[in-house]
Amino acid sequence: MSVLRPLDKLPGLNTATILLVGTDDVLLQQLAGSMLKEDCASELKVHLAKSLPLPSDVNRPRIDLIVFVVNLHSQHSLRNVEESLHHVDSTFFLGKVSFLATGAGQESHCSVHRNTVVKLAHTYRSPLLFCDLEVEGFRTTMAQRLVRMLQICAGHVPGVSALNLLSLLRSTENPSLEDL
Amino acid sequence: MEKQSEEQAAAEPADSGGEGGPPQVAGAQAARPEDRMTLLLRLRAQTKQQLLEYNSMVDANEERTPEQIIQEKQIEAKIEELEKEIEEVKIAFEMKKLALDRMQLSTALKKNLEKMDIKTSVLMDNMTQILNLNKLIMKLQQETWDLEEKLLDVRKKRLQLKQASESKLLEIQTEKNKQKGDLDSMENSDKIKNIQQNLQKEIQITTVIQHVFQNLILGSKVNWAEDSALKEMVLQLEKNLTMIQ
Repeated sequence: MSVLRPLDKLPGLNTATILLVGTDDVLLQQLAGSMLKEDCASELKVHLAKSLPLPSDVNRPRIDLIVFVVNLHSQHSLRNVEESLHHVDSTFFLGKVSFLATGAGQESHCSVHRNTVVKLAHTYRSPLLFCDLEVEGFRTTMAQRLVRMLQICAGHVPGVSALNLLSLLRSTENPSLEDL
Repeated sequence: MEKQSEEQAAAEPADSGGEGGPPQVAGAQAARPEDRMTLLLRLRAQTKQQLLEYNSMVDANEERTPEQIIQEKQIEAKIEELEKEIEEVKIAFEMKKLALDRMQLSTALKKNLEKMDIKTSVLMDNMTQILNLNKLIMKLQQETWDLEEKLLDVRKKRLQLKQASESKLLEIQTEKNKQKGDLDSMENSDKIKNIQQNLQKEIQITTVIQHVFQNLILGSKVNWAEDSALKEMVLQLEKNLTMIQ
């Protein structure tokens, strides 16, 4: 159970489960709150974790989407995410993982360069979202977006799969990063 | 239609690097039969989609085992191709969007132009200014071209002069060399040697004759100092002819 696999459990009826991984507990709680406030036809379950691997003795539903939250203000959060990534099965990266960088708004507080996160996300071929979670409005928008992604990843949207979404989300803007 | 509430957050903070605690969800029951109907239909669609996903995963796993290594490169090539296709479609879309933007802009511009008074319109002013500026730019460009042409002409002339002077210098050099060669050849030629030998001989003969005449005059015991003509002659005989050379 040390490695997290995407489809090793049967899905719950009409439920979608998201796992938020990050060091900043308060921000994660707030984000989870905003997500649960969203109007959504499926039942949402939000799990919070400081880091992976998850303890094996807890009975938890199938996880449909993992969001790694990197706080740009702390090196620790980046390292934590990097270490947690080792405990995720490779099939998860077929669209069921996403990175969320927060804190880019306050440039002076940043100790992690934006490019580092971009490179990390590119290495794992996963979408990278930027959002200042401390601002209420931004958080709500991000929660909406995450809920929509989660629904797709959980298979609640007919005709669209997570992999489908991933290929659509891939940005064309920075092909040079591939050469770096 | 259903409300979720988040509870029991961060229930296990002491857990070693583990989960912060799963917030559980309590779904409310759907009230009316129509709602239930739609819920059931949605659930059906969801289950179908999930079944499709599981099926595709099973298929993928089955395919992989036998020829995984051989296919890897092919798959990579295929992926590249597909990515290329996606990129192409994206680019085409962007192009179309740009064209559409341009068309929209031109239409809006046209409408605006029709509405506005010709004399007062800012757009017209701008246009005329742009035209004037363009004319000015063209004029200046023409001038620069002319100047450049002139410069080129001058450079050409300079080059020609340089070439001419070079050829002249070359000519002078050859001329000098020729002269030098002529001189060298003359000095070494047999003719010159003969002439020199003859000259030497003549000089010797003349010297002998001089001495003979001197002795004749002295032997005749004439006082040669009294007759000025004779004196001159005797003194002339004293000349050393070898110094003439």
